[in-house]
Formats: sequence, C-alpha cells, structure tokens
Amino acid sequence: MKRVMLFSVLLVAGAVFTAGEPPFGRAMGNPSAPIRIDLYSDYQCPACKVFHQNTLGPLIDNYVKSGKVYLVHREFPLPIHAHAREAACYVSAAERLGKYVEVGDQLFRKQELWAKDGDVANTACSVLDANTAKKLRALAADPQIAAEVDRDIQAAQAEKINGTPTMIITKMIRRYPVPGPVSYAVLSKFLDSLLN
Amino acid sequence: MSRKLAIALRTFLGIVFLYAAYTKLRQPWLVFAMSIDAYQLLPSWAVLTAARTLPAVELILGVLLLWGKFLRYAALALTVLLIGFYAAMIRAYQAGAGIDCGCFGVGEAVSMITLARDGVLLASSLILTYLVFNEEGLRRSPILHPQTESER
Repeated sequence: MKRVMLFSVLLVAGAVFTAGEPPFGRAMGNPSAPIRIDLYSDYQCPACKVFHQNTLGPLIDNYVKSGKVYLVHREFPLPIHAHAREAACYVSAAERLGKYVEVGDQLFRKQELWAKDGDVANTACSVLDANTAKKLRALAADPQIAAEVDRDIQAAQAEKINGTPTMIITKMIRRYPVPGPVSYAVLSKFLDSLLN
Repeated sequence: MSRKLAIALRTFLGIVFLYAAYTKLRQPWLVFAMSIDAYQLLPSWAVLTAARTLPAVELILGVLLLWGKFLRYAALALTVLLIGFYAAMIRAYQAGAGIDCGCFGVGEAVSMITLARDGVLLASSLILTYLVFNEEGLRRSPILHPQTESER
C-alpha cells in the first residue's frame, strides 16, 4: 500500500514538474543550470532578427554550453505580422524532426524575403533534403503543432508580454522580464551579476 | 495665473519624476540598462553610464521641482531630458521595434499611449521652462502682485 502511495506521489510530482516544459529541441543546455531564460520570439519581427544574429550566438556559446543558463525558446507570433504564425508552426514542426535550429536560422536569415512574399514553406524547406522537407510540410499543417504554438502564445499572454523579443530571466524565485533586442555586452553583465 | 500654473506644473512633473526614479531604483540597475540598450541608440559604455545615473538625475529633478529651488536649471534639464526620451521613443515606434518604454520600470511597450503621455509631459515641461525663464512675467502676475491704485 505504501509503495502504491509513494509511486502515486512521485507520478503526480513528475507530471507537475514536467507540465510546463517544452518538447525536446527548443530547450538548450542543462535544465538544472542556475539561470533559466525563456525567450519569446516572432520570426517576422525585425528586432528578433537583430537579437538572434547579434546576441543569441554568444549567449549560447558562453552561458548555455557552459551550463550556466538553460535556454528555452518559445513562439510568440504577433498578430501584426501576417506570416509569423505560419513561421512559428514550421519551426515547431522542424523541432519534431530535429531541425529546429536549422529552420529557425534560415527563417531569420531570409526574413525580409518571406515577410514580403509570404513563402514561409519554401524558405523553411530550403535547408532540408527533399524527404525531410516533405515531412516538414505535412507536420506544419498538423493541428497538434498549431496547439503547441497556441500554448506558447497563452504562456506569453500570462506573462503579460506585449512585444518581441522578450526574455523571462529566472534565478531561483526571482524573475526578470527583459524586453527588446538587448546587446550581448549588457546582457552578459546582468547574467554575471546574477551568477555572482 | 502664471504663478499658479507654474506651481501646478512643477508639482505634477516633480511627482511624476519621483515616481519614475522610484520604479527604476527598486529594481537592479542592470535591468534598466537592458531597457535602455533595447533602443539600440547608445554604445554599451553609454548605456551602462546612463543606467547608473538617470534614476538619480530623475530623483534630484523631482525633488528640486517640488522644493522650488534652482527652478531654471531643473526645468531646463527636465526639458532636455524629455526631448531626448521623446525622440528615442518616436524612433523606436517608427521602427516598429515593439520594445519596452522603460519609462516607469519594465512591462510597458512603446505605443501611441506612451507617446501621448510623454507628449503631455514634454509640453508641460516646455511651458514650465518658459514660465520660469520669464520670471518678470511671474512677478507681475496679478495674483502675486496686484497692481496698486498709483500703478494703475
């Protein structure tokens, strides 16, 4: 009886602990790192592109890979961007195929092009082989992927986020919402201050 | 009328600036630094310097405005500061950056509402500066110094 109760408690605790976690692939680094960053992005947002190109690389190299920061990417396509939601679906679908980074990078790299002509699908598939691209197209139309994007949007709304990019930096019980394309130089000073 | 208006404006602006300083000082200064940095206007060293000094400057200006001392300097500094803030906000809004205003802590994106609000602050500051630099006009205010029979 005791064993059954213990098992039930562990099961419930495990479910509670993992409920808010995103699927594998979006999260980078050590989950038990002292700092957690939830990064809300919109692939059609120019400020997100600036952040992605200038800040994210050194952040991953110097803090995520060294185990200081656990980085979780979240989708927050803004309604003002006509193709942002479709892009978010493609990136979320790419995650299932283990191509989250490749597709995300490509969408930011070619942002000006697909933002104009709306050709998200071909842009996302251009970094994949024919077979994977076919799977990606099918997955991107899956209602489960749309539901995943919706969950991220709801999480952003719960955090009262109103622009992108926005980071929610968490250290222990302290949470700092940091909106805007912050430079690596200033962000690293803040992270160092939290780590010390 | 001018004197009453000047008192009303400096009280209003003084309270607003004290509140603005409070919202920045209660959080780690590097959080405010990141708000400034998001505007992408200044190099890192200037961002860090501004983040260290601006809340203190706002606090001092708020106190001086409420106290009524060094009003010319305070009003002028306030106007210059607000012109700078307003220009940065307009640039951010036009660029569609969707960044945080940083005016009263974190969590308020630059929008038409924040632009309108800061426009009111800037207009108030300009009027106050005009009034304190025209003290002669204030001294001759009929409320402060009603004209005597002989002057008439």
